[in-house]
Amino acid sequence: MSAICAIAWRETRGYFATPVGWLCLGSFVALTGLFFAMSTSEFAAMAVQVASNPFATNQVNLTEWLIHPFFGNTAVILLMLCPALTMRLFAEDRRNGAIELLLASPISSGQIVLGKYLGALGFVFAMLCTTLPLTGMLYWLGNPDTGVLLSCYLATFLLAGSFMAVGMLASAFTTSQVVALVASFGLLLALWVLSWANVIAGPGLGDFLSAVSMLSHVNQLNKGLLHLSDVVYFLSFMGLFVFATTQRVEAYRWR
Amino acid sequence: MISVTGLGKRYGVIRAIEDVNFTVNRGEVVGLLGPNGAGKTTTMRILAGCLGATAGKAQVEGLDVTAHPKEVKRRIGYLPESPPLYKSMIVWDYVAFAAAIKGVKDIHGATERALSQVGLLEDVGDRPAAERIIGNLSKGFQQRVGLAQALVHDPDVLVLDEPTSGLDPAQRKEIRVLLQRLAHESRRTIILSTHVLADVEDICSRVVVLDKGTVVAEDSITSLRRQGGRVRLVVAQPSSAAAEALRAVAGVRALERHEDGAYTLTVSQECRADLAAAAVPFGLLELGHQAESLEEIFLKMTGGEE
Repeated sequence: MSAICAIAWRETRGYFATPVGWLCLGSFVALTGLFFAMSTSEFAAMAVQVASNPFATNQVNLTEWLIHPFFGNTAVILLMLCPALTMRLFAEDRRNGAIELLLASPISSGQIVLGKYLGALGFVFAMLCTTLPLTGMLYWLGNPDTGVLLSCYLATFLLAGSFMAVGMLASAFTTSQVVALVASFGLLLALWVLSWANVIAGPGLGDFLSAVSMLSHVNQLNKGLLHLSDVVYFLSFMGLFVFATTQRVEAYRWR
Repeated sequence: MISVTGLGKRYGVIRAIEDVNFTVNRGEVVGLLGPNGAGKTTTMRILAGCLGATAGKAQVEGLDVTAHPKEVKRRIGYLPESPPLYKSMIVWDYVAFAAAIKGVKDIHGATERALSQVGLLEDVGDRPAAERIIGNLSKGFQQRVGLAQALVHDPDVLVLDEPTSGLDPAQRKEIRVLLQRLAHESRRTIILSTHVLADVEDICSRVVVLDKGTVVAEDSITSLRRQGGRVRLVVAQPSSAAAEALRAVAGVRALERHEDGAYTLTVSQECRADLAAAAVPFGLLELGHQAESLEEIFLKMTGGEE
């Protein structure tokens, strides 16, 4: 356990020692701030418009008009930033030979992968924490549904965890960070929009694609509907990719 | 102690090593020699548990590398050819990290000891090297950091893959002195690969020579030297009969006759007594042995000199 923690701590700290980490963090803070400001001003304009209409007032609430768009946008930002965060996890270690330190240590491939994954998640967690002042501001502006907010945070964290797991696997397959970045971004985009394919696929295949797509599961969670099936979907997704990465790292010893 | 028996590794259809056998006794310092592609790194990576063998077995302190990887890794300190460094880290943090993943209990104490052993607690400029970022250090110091991570868990066995490669002569000397100290002070079992034969002569008591994936020699340097070399011989009556008699001695590979009646014979084994006996009928005046340099022995064994 201490070896996993040591690897995780080194990875999280490593992000703060590299320009990529700071660039991603800076971009995330700037973009979430921008989208939050845009959603807030849109919500304010809408509130003014419907103020005179008592029937429409109930339709305009913080959850529908601010929280959902904000977390939807945050998910898209993470979709773009997570591959940049994961590209170095294994590709860099293999390129500069640092992976030999891990492989020659008395730890299993699973511990190496888990340590790196938790370290990367630690940085994403820190990134998500930077949105707390924004969502905290909602309590000052109005009366947001805390349950929905918590559910949205859980959904976003699970989604980011899934993104990171895919990116880590891509990084384990190459020594080039650029290849890892492009591969993980392409794969994530495909998994993201899989549910759109049910328009062209038949009802059976369409339902299956919807079930596999990340978008449909994250939408449920973002509505504040905490279904066990959605949580299990994301946890299984992460588990599958972490397991695949472990197998890949184990294969380093045979190549 | 290291014991390698019938070790083989194939990368698909490419054979990296085949039927490699050698033993390194406890407290012994052995050099693994061979040209590029001879299989030195493959052998060392298998010993360090970074690579699986496709045949044979390797044992460290009586434990099989494949069957007991964690126990073996606790006993081995491995320095790959390119030191496995995180260059954005501070030296102390890096060595402490290595200690943590190697399961060391007293991380602070172990880090301090390892850094002290390789001289990284000394000042470089205005502050100790241990407080500097690894990437900002010279290659020689980075090599020391690599050695510190290999030593941090106080291993019984050190596996060092070309520890002096890429260093300038001064840095090479520093590392060589350091390795000599490590070898003599701690009585560790050390196996190191190198292209620099001066390193082998300085540090190692014995060599294992690999060529094209197989062991072509395993002996002490003194014994290897004794096996071959050149013999200068002067007789009172040089003649073609004398040359024939000398050439007929077992172990003589080549004979060169000089105008002053001297002969230079290239020999592949110790045969001075036989040569003296063969030369006496022609009036033996002088017989001297010139040992081959390690370079010559190395080239001869690895087919670099025909």
